[in-house]
Amino acid sequence: MNHPFWDVGLSYGFLMALVAVVHVYLAHFAIGGGLYLVLAEWFARRSGDEERLGFVRRLSRFFILTTVVMGALTGVGIWFVIGLLNPAATEVLIRNFVWAWAIEWTFFLVEILAAILYWYGWDRLSARRHLQLGWIYFVFAWLSLVVINGIVTFMLTPGAWSETGAFLDGFLNPTYWPSLVFRTGVCVTLAGLFSLLVAAWAGAVVPARQFRFNAIWGLVGLAIALPSLFWYRSVVSGGADADVMARLTIPAKALEVLSWAAVALAVVLVVFGLLQPRLYRRTVAVVVLALGLVWFGSFEWWRESIRKPWAVPGYMYGNGLLAGDVDEFRESGLLAQIRFRSGDDGADLFRMSCRHCHTVDGYNPVAPAFAGTDEAFVQASMRGLHEMRGPMPIFAGSDEEAKILGSWIWQRIDQRPFEEVHPLKGPELGRQVYEVRCGRCHVVGGHNDKSSTLEGADEEFIGELIDAELTPEMPVFTGSEVEREALIRHLISIGKGE
Amino acid sequence: MFFLGTPAHEFLPAPLWLLTGLHVLTLALHLLAMNFLVGGLIVALTARLGDRWQNPATRRLLKLFPTLMAATVSFGVAPLLFAQLVYGEQLYSASIVSGWFWFAVPFVLVAAYYLLYGGAFAGRGSPRIGVFAWTALIILLLVSVVYSGVFALAERPDLQVSLYAGNQSGLVFNPDLGGWLPRWLHMILGALTVGGFFFGLLGRDDERAWRAGQAVFSWGTAAAALTGVFYLMSIGDLMKPFMRSPGISLLTVGALAGIVSVFFYRRRRLVWSGALLLVGMLGMVGARHSLRLVALDGVFDPEALPVTPQWGPFAVFAICLLIAVAVMAWMLCIFFAAPAKGEPAN
Repeated sequence: MNHPFWDVGLSYGFLMALVAVVHVYLAHFAIGGGLYLVLAEWFARRSGDEERLGFVRRLSRFFILTTVVMGALTGVGIWFVIGLLNPAATEVLIRNFVWAWAIEWTFFLVEILAAILYWYGWDRLSARRHLQLGWIYFVFAWLSLVVINGIVTFMLTPGAWSETGAFLDGFLNPTYWPSLVFRTGVCVTLAGLFSLLVAAWAGAVVPARQFRFNAIWGLVGLAIALPSLFWYRSVVSGGADADVMARLTIPAKALEVLSWAAVALAVVLVVFGLLQPRLYRRTVAVVVLALGLVWFGSFEWWRESIRKPWAVPGYMYGNGLLAGDVDEFRESGLLAQIRFRSGDDGADLFRMSCRHCHTVDGYNPVAPAFAGTDEAFVQASMRGLHEMRGPMPIFAGSDEEAKILGSWIWQRIDQRPFEEVHPLKGPELGRQVYEVRCGRCHVVGGHNDKSSTLEGADEEFIGELIDAELTPEMPVFTGSEVEREALIRHLISIGKGE
Repeated sequence: MFFLGTPAHEFLPAPLWLLTGLHVLTLALHLLAMNFLVGGLIVALTARLGDRWQNPATRRLLKLFPTLMAATVSFGVAPLLFAQLVYGEQLYSASIVSGWFWFAVPFVLVAAYYLLYGGAFAGRGSPRIGVFAWTALIILLLVSVVYSGVFALAERPDLQVSLYAGNQSGLVFNPDLGGWLPRWLHMILGALTVGGFFFGLLGRDDERAWRAGQAVFSWGTAAAALTGVFYLMSIGDLMKPFMRSPGISLLTVGALAGIVSVFFYRRRRLVWSGALLLVGMLGMVGARHSLRLVALDGVFDPEALPVTPQWGPFAVFAICLLIAVAVMAWMLCIFFAAPAKGEPAN
């Protein structure tokens, strides 16, 4: 809590994605493309194929302009962005893995110089020397992945580091190897997709066999990546993602999108790349590149989603709060820990506790979730954030601060009566009251299901139940009489299994 | 899934002297590349050379700009990493207060990079070269303003807190002009000086270019020294502690090395001049670092951070660095040993 919070009007997820999606796509192409260039050049020179050599040279110019410029600077951009969005988590990574980053930097230096000399060396160097530079480029580019992969996977599965704090335990964590194989497959796939794009742009001067060659790269990459994804999933299942998969729909949706995109990619590469290369026009190339982005982007989406609510599982929450500090802060108060204050305590608590993932009424808003409810309910809900079905960090403030935060949120929601905000009647109204007041933590047939306790319950029992303070995290019923009646009727129907 | 109490991250993974040394060394390399780029652009755009883009020195420089940009970015990664490692709390906070400005830096640098490539690839005598180069220069100058503003703010934790209390949107730029403007001016004139050095070096076979480079290097050194004094005067209460810190010795060494470098340059002893320029740069960076410590005195003491050395990973880094230097040297050797385009092949 030593840093200010950048209260930008946009979603943090969007800002991160804006830079990260572009970077990871280009960065993986920068590796696979390096291998492609040197192998394709070697084949072309060996077979005396001037057309292919011409294509490789054309690709190398595109390669330099995309990877050395855009790829490198968006990489720096990620670093800038993570420092703005989550400085505490960035500090954890830098303190623990500064030497990994420094090692990667040495590879980066070689990589950039090799790429530039490779491009300028087409007319200057002998074939042997030129190929040597190409190989140096690829080896150091891939070694960069070998290093960065350790830090990226640490953020999902810190493994034994959580107990030892040792560099290698965190670096060679449980998902390190499957991730390395998967990402290597992605690199090869993207080399195929981008080289197809350049070929399609060049048009008729590129022979059909070149399209087939490029398409094979795409397919080989998919063949490496997809099995390793199963390996990856088998490592995290039962661990990081088990609880999240049960509570969120995003991971499953991301995997579904990933699967369909992979199938579509494979089909298009076979049909247009292998069977009908002359039909592989610019439009097809752009669509395939977009499909690749969806495919790889959904993997990153899945990886990020199963990490919720953590920045480093078990150690630091996504809002920068250390798990080990929670008890102390709940006792002493969170506001006392916040060095940068705005003068509005509620706003400061919201920024530090919620704003990393939520806005009030923009992206992933909290206001609609509480619309029509009362102040006491919103205040009490702050105590049970970690019990809700969407994985969230525990609120690490005092009881008084929970009330301040709840009131601050309540002042910004639709305060009309519940039945006016949700113009429903009878069972529908009861279902809605349940959804808003109970269903965030208790999903019938799902997360934290308590419907069995309602079996055979009558009106009197349920009335006492919802008025009782059962746990500190569970709000007592504080709604209107209309809501109360509707909710009791709905709970009775749940008890009857209706 | 809680592992309370383990492990900590409030530590330095190497002794402070080692991290400081790496920071100063890599920052000097970054500044050298950045000065070559920015100063080179200024000289190429403003020197009296007749047909500007037909001059051999500007032609060579134009082709070199994208590579200089790559070098600036590449050498810039390490010093920022080491600075964040030790002074992360101050740097992150300052950058968040000016969040939008900081966020924009990589994006506008992409634009500048492409403009430099546009200039390098443009046909000889193309009128677009000047437009590309001027636009790139303006962007780079704006980025330098952001850097000066944010890094100066990083040394003013009190100002960070008060600015944030008034505005949390990241649209606040360091209003303490006296805190960053002299620093920025000194930096830009320093860049111009280095640009003059390299311009003359590249155009040493062309009398006009050599004279232009020599003039910029000589007068730029004088102007940078003057703004340096202005910068020193602007630090106010920090002057006394700075005079008692190692910073004043480093500053003296840096300034003397810069002046002697000009002396050798005018006699075309370019290797000596270049070596002294590098010494001067190291001295200035070291002095700047001392000033940061003086400014943060009483607020943050890096010596107080516990040290838990990670010698194994450091050893791997040191080996990788040696390998990288060797490989880069070898690549440059084979590249420059080969005949350039148009020259006969062996």
